[in-house]
Amino acid sequence: MTQDKRRRIGGYVDYSLIFIIIVLLGFGLIMVYSTSSYEASVSSKLQNDAAFYLKKQMFATLVGLIMMILVSVIPYHFWERFAGWGYIVSIILILLVLTPLGIEANGARRWLNLGISVQPAEIAKLAMILFLASFVCKLGNNIRHRKGFLFVLCAPVPICLLVWLITDNMSSAIIIFAIAFIMLFVASPEYKRFAAIVISVVALGTLLIFVIAKAGAGGGFGFRGARILAWLNPEAYSSGTGFQTLQALYAIGSGGIFGKGLGQSTQKLGFIPEAQNDMIFSIICEELGLFGGICIILLFILMLWRLMIIANNAPDLFGGLLVVGVMGHISVQVLLNVAVVTNTIPNTGISLPFISYGGTSVMFLLIELGLVFSVARSIEFKD
Amino acid sequence: MKNRNKQSENITISNNSFNKKMQEKLVVLFLIVLLAFAGLSVKLISITRDNGEQYKKQVLSQQQYESITIPYKRGDILDAKGNKLATSEKVYNLVLDCKNMNAKEGSVDATMAALKSCFSDFDEGAAREYLAANPTSQYYVTLKQLTYDEIAPFEEMAANTKDNPLISGVWFEEEYKRVYPNNEMACDLIGFTGKDNNGSYGLEQYYNSVLNGVDGREYGYLNDDETLERTTVPAIDGYNIVTTIDGNIQQITEKYLYQYNEDHKNNARDGNGANNVGCIIMDVNNGDILAMAGYPCFDLNDTKNTERLIGSKFVGEDGKVAYDAEIITAENMDELLATDEDVYRNLNNLWKNYCISTTYEPGSVAKPFTVAAGLESGKMSGNELYTCNGQLHVGDHDIKCHNYKTGGDGTLSVGEAIEKSCNVCLMLMGKQIGKTTFLEYQEKFNFGLKTNIDLFGEARTNTLVFNDKNMGETELATSTFGQGFNVTMIQMITAFSSLVNGGKYYEPHVVKKITAADGSVVQNITPRVLKQTVSAQTSSKIIEYCNGVVTNGTGKTARPAGYAIGGKTGTAETIPRDKINYVVSFMGYAPANNPQIAIYVVVDRPNAVFQDDAKYATKIVRDILTEVLPYMNIYMTEPLSDSEREELESLSITIKQANISEEETQTEEETEQIETDENGEIDARGGDVTSSTPLSDEDMQSDNADTAPLTGAVLNEQNGLGVLEDTGNDPR
Repeated sequence: MTQDKRRRIGGYVDYSLIFIIIVLLGFGLIMVYSTSSYEASVSSKLQNDAAFYLKKQMFATLVGLIMMILVSVIPYHFWERFAGWGYIVSIILILLVLTPLGIEANGARRWLNLGISVQPAEIAKLAMILFLASFVCKLGNNIRHRKGFLFVLCAPVPICLLVWLITDNMSSAIIIFAIAFIMLFVASPEYKRFAAIVISVVALGTLLIFVIAKAGAGGGFGFRGARILAWLNPEAYSSGTGFQTLQALYAIGSGGIFGKGLGQSTQKLGFIPEAQNDMIFSIICEELGLFGGICIILLFILMLWRLMIIANNAPDLFGGLLVVGVMGHISVQVLLNVAVVTNTIPNTGISLPFISYGGTSVMFLLIELGLVFSVARSIEFKD
Repeated sequence: MKNRNKQSENITISNNSFNKKMQEKLVVLFLIVLLAFAGLSVKLISITRDNGEQYKKQVLSQQQYESITIPYKRGDILDAKGNKLATSEKVYNLVLDCKNMNAKEGSVDATMAALKSCFSDFDEGAAREYLAANPTSQYYVTLKQLTYDEIAPFEEMAANTKDNPLISGVWFEEEYKRVYPNNEMACDLIGFTGKDNNGSYGLEQYYNSVLNGVDGREYGYLNDDETLERTTVPAIDGYNIVTTIDGNIQQITEKYLYQYNEDHKNNARDGNGANNVGCIIMDVNNGDILAMAGYPCFDLNDTKNTERLIGSKFVGEDGKVAYDAEIITAENMDELLATDEDVYRNLNNLWKNYCISTTYEPGSVAKPFTVAAGLESGKMSGNELYTCNGQLHVGDHDIKCHNYKTGGDGTLSVGEAIEKSCNVCLMLMGKQIGKTTFLEYQEKFNFGLKTNIDLFGEARTNTLVFNDKNMGETELATSTFGQGFNVTMIQMITAFSSLVNGGKYYEPHVVKKITAADGSVVQNITPRVLKQTVSAQTSSKIIEYCNGVVTNGTGKTARPAGYAIGGKTGTAETIPRDKINYVVSFMGYAPANNPQIAIYVVVDRPNAVFQDDAKYATKIVRDILTEVLPYMNIYMTEPLSDSEREELESLSITIKQANISEEETQTEEETEQIETDENGEIDARGGDVTSSTPLSDEDMQSDNADTAPLTGAVLNEQNGLGVLEDTGNDPR
């Protein structure tokens, strides 16, 4: 009965995924308000409006949800023809940052003023998912060969370099590359090559860190070098580069198992700057404790699990790879964010999907999920 | 969930599909992600478990729950009219919070520029140096004790975050600064208070605990839920003290002490007009000190200024002024005051209150006490006659009278003996009174005992007077005319007040009221009669004799124009007894027939070739009373000579007289009064007076019930404030 009904309405609807998204978004809004209300209320620049960030985020979330629904009812193959265009458009958008349309904030030029401020790097992530899914489909069995493999591996590089060099946003570049890498990993039957790449990257990274650590503060590695030094020993750089990381650690540590209670964080009162952004997870841990933090992680795991199920049941390769791309995007960003907050990796600006403040991010994530729902709708049940 | 899985397995797989291999790899990916999450969760748990407590403390420690002291305001010292003699003003220290300033890009430059534009004294170089050396320091005081007006422009600038978004890391720490609006005025009496709110000398020290309040505190604490709460305990301001000092009388007094010094300095010797000059004016009917002043004096707002020591004798290492001590001059100052110890020893000498802290032999001003003792004890009737041949042989000594060279005063009545200040007569009286009675009355008059005036630093004289054991015939003889025992000025004037007020010995006091910061009265200090020294009859006899001193005797020069006063001069030999060094004085009261106030001026070793002349003191008394008595609305009773009239006019004193015989004079007086009124009244020192409130006749009559009948003319009741504010062009 129920199966029949579903088919009539229009395919499979993953209610648990909807539920998870709504919980994450709702929780995200609560936490954005909790973390930002104090700073906003003391800032005369924002007219002392405690709900300033909340309102903006709510607006972006609503727009995102509408777009998600729209995208979910459009068959995903519709987008396949735009894959190449998306790739080109995202490059153009990134280049547009250099024009007067670009907005500079917090010392970095990363935003575009297109009526609303948009971060091209976020668009590039979506474009990359679309492009690679389509590209891999076109390659077909060629992906098994070295040439095809390298092709796919090199496809994101131009965009990554642009994001890194033009918008000075290394973390987004890494994420874009990681998305591509994960999609390639799933699409390719290989293991060895990936293992080799991972091992060599880790080895290179370790070597680099070792060199930077040896060179010390005056080593000439710029602020990234400083961040690595601060990562290795945050206490030694507590007044400078390590301040944010250390304060985040203090927040997590002081939260205990069940936290200080929602809204009771003291670290958000000026100690963690812009706590509603990248460091929001530390405030979650402070206010809701280890329990709250791990609940959030579990929610993300659930979400990824749902995405995996959808991908594995995707009617075709394109749909499956789209979902894998989205899954890769979310998993990489959550992992890196939590890793930064816990000082597992050097500090780099990565927001926590659905929860951190950031309109473009949440909108594009929801559009990506719209694609996922679109793929899910195409799943046909065996009779 | 299981159901859902089963469904998934049933899904069809098309060509170019998401094949089994991919599904397998996706599961592998998911597992890797899961593993990574597990790793991160372990990391999270380990942070909480291993560093939880430490970080908890860290978080708490970086909260500002350390307490901030809110300073209390030390109470004001007010004169009898409510004018501020000492007050505490809120001042602000400019504190730099380097950590905060460094937090924002461009903040340092913006803040430095703003500070530089608002504070001319701001040392940008030093601040930047400190900032560079201590980037995390949160407390660096750059400028101290700024007034509100000085910091207001910057506060305004910083508050305007629209135009100056980058100003940060600056705050103002509040503090109170003790300020003495009248600088030198009543310096010895008031004393002073440094930054620590600990008074030194005078009222500031005596009433230190009354003036001080309790610091408030702003502090954070952890409540039961271990969250931070902040609480403010407000500071309790100190009490104000209202003194009996009349700012105008005090100022008049100081003006003439200063003038005396100007007239006599560098005369016979280098330096001040006298080693010390002191003056006390007291209300004889309640013990209120109306004025108490000394010279040399110092600026209460600049107590450590050694220039004030110029003209004084150098205080030696034993803490005493040697007879032949060097005079401190601008030239030898650096040499004499070589060490800090030297400086402070001399400053301490300057700071102490001569009127209560220095003891000396009173000389002839003690004679009325001897007579009072004789009359009160019944050993003398007052009708005795004594013969003076210029000297008297007492014990092994021939004690000379001051008129020794002219062969003595001959036969004198008791009154004449006082008028002429005859030592021989007094010695004869002493013999008549006897040692026991004499000592008994010395104690009655409080000689040898403290008066317990409410000022810090009253000298003890218990070892400086004779007792039954060490008083021989000679000591008794010299004591009768005030040599041999030591007193303080406050002892003398307090006892003398009792002699002329009908015998009531009032405890002298400076503070009449203690009020709280909100103005409510905490304590009223009422006059205390400690004892009856003499009877009313004896008192009126003494008044009669002392009036004679001014009308016929040695004190003629003390009489101010238009008034009849009484008193006694004193010319005391002092150590070394070389017949060169003298302490001259005049102790009097006014008006003569109904004493209201007592005045005592002591000139310690006047700067003159022949020091033994009481005129140095009587001149000061006359000058002071000439202004003070009209100011106090005491009516003139004596006819004025032309020169006296001129003198009063030059002082802009309105002449108002009791209704005496000369009708003409009086009409003139009245016309004059009206004119002055119309022209706008001028204060005693010629400065502008903002307003004046003439007293009604009723007031006058109740004030001076005994001096009836009175004319309607009234002296301008000086607006105390107007006069006090006049210190800008210091009359001294």
